[in-house]
Amino acid sequence: MRRAFLAITGLAASTTALVVLKGSPGTSQAAQEPPAGTPVGSEAAGAPPSGTDAPAAAPTAAATSSPWPTRGATRSPAARPTSRAPAPRTTTARPPQQPTTTRRVTGPIVENEYGNVQVQIVLNGDRIVEALTLELPSGPGETERHSDDVRRAYNGTSGEVVRRQGADLDTVSGATETSDSYRRSLRAAIERA
Amino acid sequence: MTYPQTHAAGRRTGSPSRHGGRPAAVSSPVPARRGPGGRRLLAALLVTGLLASVLPWWLDTPAGSLRSTAAALTAAGRITGLVAGYLLLVQVLMMSRLPVLERWIGGERLGRWHRDVGATVLVAVLAHLSLILLGYAGLRDHSVLTEAGVLLRDYEDMVEAFAATGVLVLVGFTSVRAIRSALPYELWHLLHRASYLVLLLGFGHQFSNGAQLFQPGPVRTGWIALYAAVVAALVWGRVVTPLRFNLRHRLRVADVVAESPDTISLYLTGERLDRLDLLGGQFFRWRFLTRGCWWQSHPFSVSAAANDRWLRLTVKVVGTHTADLRDLDPGTRVWAQGPSGTFTAAHRTRERALLIAGGSGITPVRAMLEELPPGAALIYRARTPADVLLSRELDWLAQARDTDIWYVIGSRDDPGPRQVLSPDGLRRLVPDLTRRDVYLCGPPGLVEQSLRALRRAGVPRGQIHLATFEL
Repeated sequence: MRRAFLAITGLAASTTALVVLKGSPGTSQAAQEPPAGTPVGSEAAGAPPSGTDAPAAAPTAAATSSPWPTRGATRSPAARPTSRAPAPRTTTARPPQQPTTTRRVTGPIVENEYGNVQVQIVLNGDRIVEALTLELPSGPGETERHSDDVRRAYNGTSGEVVRRQGADLDTVSGATETSDSYRRSLRAAIERA
Repeated sequence: MTYPQTHAAGRRTGSPSRHGGRPAAVSSPVPARRGPGGRRLLAALLVTGLLASVLPWWLDTPAGSLRSTAAALTAAGRITGLVAGYLLLVQVLMMSRLPVLERWIGGERLGRWHRDVGATVLVAVLAHLSLILLGYAGLRDHSVLTEAGVLLRDYEDMVEAFAATGVLVLVGFTSVRAIRSALPYELWHLLHRASYLVLLLGFGHQFSNGAQLFQPGPVRTGWIALYAAVVAALVWGRVVTPLRFNLRHRLRVADVVAESPDTISLYLTGERLDRLDLLGGQFFRWRFLTRGCWWQSHPFSVSAAANDRWLRLTVKVVGTHTADLRDLDPGTRVWAQGPSGTFTAAHRTRERALLIAGGSGITPVRAMLEELPPGAALIYRARTPADVLLSRELDWLAQARDTDIWYVIGSRDDPGPRQVLSPDGLRRLVPDLTRRDVYLCGPPGLVEQSLRALRRAGVPRGQIHLATFEL
């Protein structure tokens, strides 16, 4: 029993240590500063000299490290009955849909340095008929404008998502990071659809 | 009974003299040692697996990304979730009776690990649940209760996951020693079997909602492979191995013999017993295939070293099941799972041994005596002289294997036994104590008391081998 106690203490201590290591305020502050002045695009290339590998790792890692669970239907109760497919969400396991009903599938929130991105798609059968963002980075000046650019380029019933029917999107110039997060959230949503 | 009397009446047997006596008639060969290497390797593998299970989280999480308290809580929830998921598999694996584990780690030690890891799993799962709840609630600005509702309603497989937690809490709760001993063994065992439900119910939510596992990729595949491996180990250890064993040996009850008013010996015969890979001190889990008994499986030690004609187990009648064993008819088929246990001569670290047995704990010790190198010493605790079992065989072994035997009779609080089982008392009986392996087998009280005395007398923990039986 003494060993169990040690194990539990060790678990608590190492979990705390891991979280503290990853979330140390020194690095997070450094990562938060750039949005204030630098334009989005240039920043993504010229990684902030904060000494961590965060910016480099962010695009790939963000998809899974978002604080959100992978389940998307939380904000669209209408989508629940259809997206509650019995099988794990692989594209092959999709239940046959009547072509007349549309369903909504939401991607995970993907975090980047400027804020969160979350994409929702509306499908008719297998076809994406609309893309919308439940969340985009908002903030002072530049950030807001880049978010608008992204929204305009990708979203809507005739945006790039619908035209391309996939996550293979051109990066919105100046909004590399946000475009990237958008693609990740979208890709997850499509995978889940 | 007082101390001098114990001594006077105590040393009933023993070789005339270790020095200058006749050479011991060595009947059974002494088995080769099995060092701790295999055990350490397996333990290292399990620990590596634990680190590997948290690695995906570490790689997926950009440094400095946990800005808010809620994000930090969620991250902690994920770590504990991964740890809990992994340890749960380890728990099942340790109880899979996989021959490799039984051989290198041993049933007793696996049992202890299972107990300790079990407590850890329970805490990890509860931490996972509450941290995720708090974290998500914080991220969404919900109350915790609202968030619990959202999780249950809107997320796939979460109802099952909550149910799994409930089952796990029940299993954990009934395994607390005090509660466990208040329950009938069969009921407890049935409840404990429900742990498999935890594995089943908890499976889905890891993949539909697990941040590290929902995406197809090596991590997800690896995690599923881990499940598959554990299920394969279960099938191999609990179905294939026993099936093979029992088809090969086809054990049957040959005779039931009374050893004392409340102890019986069962003699079993079967086929190809010469090919039985059994060491003295090991045990099987026995299932006697009669109407009242077939559904229960109980571990009993084999009370004589392997021979090619029969197997024997000696059992104290303490419960309804053991009482039923008295009435077994010769010819009854027996289903055995084993052999397991590292309480054997093969696990010694020194050439000489001291054995301390209490009550019916003598049975594995008796079997082991046949295989230990000559020069062993045995301290046998019994409440009354009538409780001494197998004394004629012990006398014979004392002669044949040059073994000193002390019978220490009396209740736990009598001055005699108390004196013998103190550091000084042990040192007086066995002066070279610290250079011997010590094998302890008996009721928990005796084992704990002796363990303390031995440690205080300076015996390294690695030289002490335990076989506690739970009543």
